[in-house]
This record gives sequence, structure tokens and C-alpha cells, in this order.
Amino acid sequence: SLFFNSLYLLDSRHCVFALTLLTLLMQVVVEANSWWSLAMNPLLIPEAYIIGAQPLCSQLVGLSQGQKKLCQLYQDHMQYIGEGAKTGIRECQYQFRHRRWNCSTVDNSSVFGRVMQIGSRETAFTYAISAAGVVNAVSRACREGELSSCGCSRAARPKDLPRDWLWGGCGDNLNYGYRFSKEFVDAREREKSYPKGTYESARLLMNLHNNEAGRRTVSDLAHVSCKCHGVSGSCSLKTCWLQLADFRKVGDALKEKYDSAAAMKLNSRGKLVQMHSKFNAPTSHDLVYIESSPDYCLKNQSTGSLGTVGRLCNKTSEGMDGCELMCCGRGYDQYKAQIVERCHCKFHWCCYVKCKRCTKIVDQFVCK
Amino acid sequence: KCNTFSKCGFYTATQEKRNDLPWSRSKMLDGHLLLGWLSITLIVYLLSLPGPSAAYFGLTGNEPLSILPLNSLPEENVGRAHYKLCDRLKLEKKQRRMCRRDPGVAETLREAITMSALECQYQFRFERWNCTLEGRHRANILKRGFKETAFLYAVSSAGLTHAMAKACSAGRMERCTCDEAPDLENRKAWQWGGCGDNLKYANKFVKDFLGKRSNKDLRARVDMHNTNVGMKVIKAGVETTCKCHGVSGSCTVQTCWRQLLPFHEIGKQLKSRYEASVKVGSSTNEATGEGEISTGRGLQEPPPQPLPGLNDQIPRTMDLLHIEDSPSFCRPSKYSSGTAARKCYKDKNCDAICCGRGHNTQSREVTRPCQCQVRWCCYVECKQCTQREEVYTCKG
Repeated sequence: SLFFNSLYLLDSRHCVFALTLLTLLMQVVVEANSWWSLAMNPLLIPEAYIIGAQPLCSQLVGLSQGQKKLCQLYQDHMQYIGEGAKTGIRECQYQFRHRRWNCSTVDNSSVFGRVMQIGSRETAFTYAISAAGVVNAVSRACREGELSSCGCSRAARPKDLPRDWLWGGCGDNLNYGYRFSKEFVDAREREKSYPKGTYESARLLMNLHNNEAGRRTVSDLAHVSCKCHGVSGSCSLKTCWLQLADFRKVGDALKEKYDSAAAMKLNSRGKLVQMHSKFNAPTSHDLVYIESSPDYCLKNQSTGSLGTVGRLCNKTSEGMDGCELMCCGRGYDQYKAQIVERCHCKFHWCCYVKCKRCTKIVDQFVCK
Repeated sequence: KCNTFSKCGFYTATQEKRNDLPWSRSKMLDGHLLLGWLSITLIVYLLSLPGPSAAYFGLTGNEPLSILPLNSLPEENVGRAHYKLCDRLKLEKKQRRMCRRDPGVAETLREAITMSALECQYQFRFERWNCTLEGRHRANILKRGFKETAFLYAVSSAGLTHAMAKACSAGRMERCTCDEAPDLENRKAWQWGGCGDNLKYANKFVKDFLGKRSNKDLRARVDMHNTNVGMKVIKAGVETTCKCHGVSGSCTVQTCWRQLLPFHEIGKQLKSRYEASVKVGSSTNEATGEGEISTGRGLQEPPPQPLPGLNDQIPRTMDLLHIEDSPSFCRPSKYSSGTAARKCYKDKNCDAICCGRGHNTQSREVTRPCQCQVRWCCYVECKQCTQREEVYTCKG
């Protein structure tokens, strides 16, 4: 309001200038927010939806226009989108726990900060794993019966299943999850269009490719799971269904793709092509990136890097979590820390486990 | 081979009594040695040459390794040809004298360098520092006391010992011949025969060639220790090989001889010692001004065995010692050219070599011989199979 008051004091030319500046700033701020914020802000319990509280979708920050519309159409899905994003972020933090950039969240609106504005390999991984998380969560929710618009998987029986096995059960609805994730996650990218050859158009293509790579990884790792229920549990009768892989495996697969990600650039026709054509071309399952990663060693406001000061490192390791590489040659301090953990666990009849607490003193190494 | 019987006889006879050169000659050499050392240390001081003043040879010398490809010298100059080779090797005065004395030495030196360089590169092919021996990198590494420096010293001396011992038994040297092993004559029904590798002569030669123990600074002593470790590893790896040639091939009559392990095995052992290398530091006793050596173990927790009298003595271990921690060889620096564009193997070590930067994949068609069969008589016929292979290189 102070701002608008001051506007009255300026003349019209300044007004126009100030207004355009304001809208531009808002545009940038809106870009920085993302649907990932659904993971950070705890979503309301489903009962709130039943009462029909309409304004809920407009309250959620970080959604684009298309995503808001989808929110209004599929209100009960939003909780699972948040859970999917949370799963994705958690897996990302697990996979990168030993590296300089450890997928740490900065705030509740832009989640990862300005790091995501650089089209690096880490950005590619984050987009892919969050899209995969949404597929995972929505498919599982369908199977559990939480969503009204979908049910158990109606996938066709795979051709290589032995003939006397039954195909049924209630599998994860991968098809629906895939399609919904595609609609929702890609909505922000699809509703914009940038002139050919600009950085934004390259970023758009990159994001779409990586989202697709994440979804396809989930779909590739889905497997057939069976249960024996014949006479006294024998396998004379077997029922099989489609089951999604444990999300840790999806994380591992995407981490491998991250290691072998392909560097791309825009060609004259506005499409992404490889930077060095002698290497293998990336498939739709591979991750792509357009810029090289910033230096994660030092804290830098403009790139959004948090630096590695204060990170724990492993003195005996030669890898990225070793003190030499993690601390970027700055050296490390040694502390003694007291760790409390559970030990001497015993099972009591019936049916609980009781553990004692042991404290031990360990050496910890912290980067300078 | 012995050109003159008297020369050989002289040496073999005296070697049985003492382990070093004949008495008179050693006395003479001592005087020369002193002079030689004094002049060398003076020159070193004046020119402030890098590195220690002892053990200049081969991989640890300063000359570029341009002599590696073997080129054959014409037959006519074979009498004096080794002089040229000795000069090209850029040795010290005493080393050049030893080189010129015996025509087989030069060839052996060259072979030792080749063998050590190849073995080093083979053992480190999966590590970030892959033992590139060109340019300024090697010189810069040798200026510091890294684990890699320790390995270079050990593998150089091991290579020289190995090559010399083999050269003796192969008859390429004038001053030594097969292994004399009088100590096991009466054991069972063996007979010592054959032509074993002459480790005794090789050890003596290398000790003379690489210089005596120098009580200078910590770095010189550590280098001498690592050189000795190389020689000890060779000594520990001597096996007895026997051949049975009794009635219809039975082992009633056996001929046995001593042989060194193949150099690959020595390289593997040295690599494992490199990985278990111990860091030593020196501290000065403020009161007396004496320096003492302490290992890193003593600083954090009580050492497993008490270290013996530490004044001016390096702990007598078979481990390699180093003074400073190595840099990570990830980025181009004065010690290495970095790991960009290094070939790596996806399942094993791409994470480690590429330092987290990721790798590029390239497919190419490789034609290899396959389905090989022996044809009578006596050649092998193979078909050519092409398969697609993926090559992974680190991103830069």
C-alpha cells in the first residue's frame, strides 16, 4: 500500500515505468515459485475438500494458471501431488547426501532457491525425480481407492506371463498416474511459448524432456509381482499384478542418468541438439542439461549455491564425500560428538521391542 | 658371459667371502666416493637442484623419458656403443662410471626404465593419478613428498634390481653370471643348477648405483627408505623353481634354481603398499635441537607398538612412507593434467575417477578376433566379430 501511495505522487510516465517494473518483478517471483511448494506447506486434510471449500486452489502458491485449473478440477489429487513432491525431494536428498550440492531446500516458496534457474545437471535431476514422485504417489493413491476418478490398474496381461498364473489383483494404476503427472507437471511449460532461439525456449524443452525421463523411469521399473495362494500357501495358484518399484530404485536409476547426462544446445531451428555430436545421442529416458553446473564450493547469492562450509565430511573416503573434495581444499576441523543410538534391542512377548540407549563418542569432521 | 676367465673367477671367488667388492677396490672407491659426494653436494647447493641428492635414476631422475623406444645400434660400434647410451642417460659421475665399466649396464638401465614406467602406468590405470610421466608433472610431483613420490622411488629401484638380476642370468652382463647359491647344497636330492637370477649382485649394484644412506633432511631419508622397500620387496619375492628330469620324467633327479617373481606381481605388491602408506612427520626437540621422526599414528591414538629409538631413525617398516598428503588429482594442476577425458569403466570406477563430474558415452564398433581354432599344423585361425562397445570418458 505504501507503494501505491507513492505512485500517486509521480506523474504518468513514471507511473507506466513503475508499473511495468512491478509486473516484471512479479513475473520473476512467480517463475521462481513452483509446484514443489506443495511439498513444503502441509496440505489440508481431505475433509476440507468434501465441505467444498472452493478457494483452496487459489491459496496454493507456486501453481501456474493451468495447474490452478487442474487443481479445481481434481481437488482430491492435490494432497497426493504434495506427497509425491515430498517423496521426490526426500529421494533427491538421499541420492545427493554425499555431494557438494545436497539438494537442500531453502525456503517454502521456491524450495531449492535460485539454483533451479540454472539449467544444470542438478536441475535436470530435480525435475525428473519430482515428476517421478508424482507418478508414484498418484498411482498408489488410485490403487488405495483414495481418488474418485481412478481405480485399480486395468493394464493388459503381459505376454510373457506363464499361462496358469492368474492376472488380477489390484495393481498400481501406472497408466493414470503417468497421464496425470504429464498433465499437471508439464502444464506450466506448455502454457508458455517463447521465441525460437532464446534461453527460455531451451529451458522449456529441457524441462519437458527431463520430466518425461522421470516418468518413463518409473514406468520402466514397474514389474510384475505375484502371490501364491494355493493349497496351504503353495504356488499351485498364483495371482500376479503390476507393481511399481520401490522409489529408492527409481532414485538410483535417475542418479545413473544424472551421471551420464547429455549436454545440449539450441540449433538454428530451435530444437535441442547435442553439444558434441560424437557422443551418443540422449534417448527419451536420459537426462539433458544446457548449462554447466555452478561452483557449489562457495556460497554465492546470484547462483543460489549454499557452499560447503559446515558440511560433514568423511576423512577416510576418496570420493566426493571425502574431506579433500567436499571441503574444496579449504581444510576441515575435527570435533568430538556424542551420538545417542538404540542398542541391545530385545523382543518381548507380546509384541513389542524394547531398546536401550547407548551413547558413543565419535570424531566428526566439518569443512571450514 | 665371462670374456676372461680370470675376471669371472676373481669375482665369484670373493663374493663367497664378503658381500661387497674386493677389499682393495672398495678402499680406492671410498676415497673417490668421498670426493665425488663432496663435489656433487657443492654443485647441488650452488645450483639448488630440486629434490634429494641421492638416488637420481630413471623414473626419479630429471631427464625426459625420451629414450624409451628401443632403437638398435649398428653392429660395428658395439665396442664403444654403450658409452653413447650412458651419456644419453644423464647420470651422475659415479653412475656414469659404473655404466661405462660394463657394456651390458646401459641396456639394462634402459630396460629397467621401460619396465618401471609401464608397470606404474598399469597399476595406476584406474586411479585419478595415472602415472603420466611426461612434462613438468613428474618433476613437480618429485619435488614434494607425496605417496606417489614414494611409489615412484620404490618402483624405480625394484625395476632396476629386477632388470639387473635378469640381465645377469641372461648373460648380458660381463661382470656377473648366474646365481651362486652354495647354501642349499645338501638338501634332499636337489641339485642346484640351472641359471638362477643373480639377486646378490643386483642388490649390490643397485646400492652402489643409487647412493649410500644419507643423513640429510627428512625427505632424503624417506626417499632412501622407499628405495630400500623396493629392493626388499624384490628380495622377498624369490621363488624356487624346479624341473624334474629323472627316470621317465620322475622327480628323483631334480634341478632347482631361484627365480624372481614376474615384475607384475612386484608391481601389485608395491601398489598395495602404496595404499597402506604411512605418513611421517618430523618434529624438533626444542631443548636439544635434535630432530625426530614420528608417524601420524602417534598423534591421534597410542601406536600399536612403541616406536623404537626415534632419534634420527626412520621406523624400520616395510611400508612406504610419505611426508605430505597428496592433492586430489581431479583438476588440472601442476601435478597432473586432471581427469577430464579420461577413459573410465562405468560399473567400476567412473564415479571415482571423474570426481563427480559425470561421464560421456560414446558407442563404437570394435572388431575383435573370435571363435579361434587351431589348425594342423600349426597356426591359429580366427574369425572377426564386430560388436558395439561403449566407451565412457569423464566430462571436463
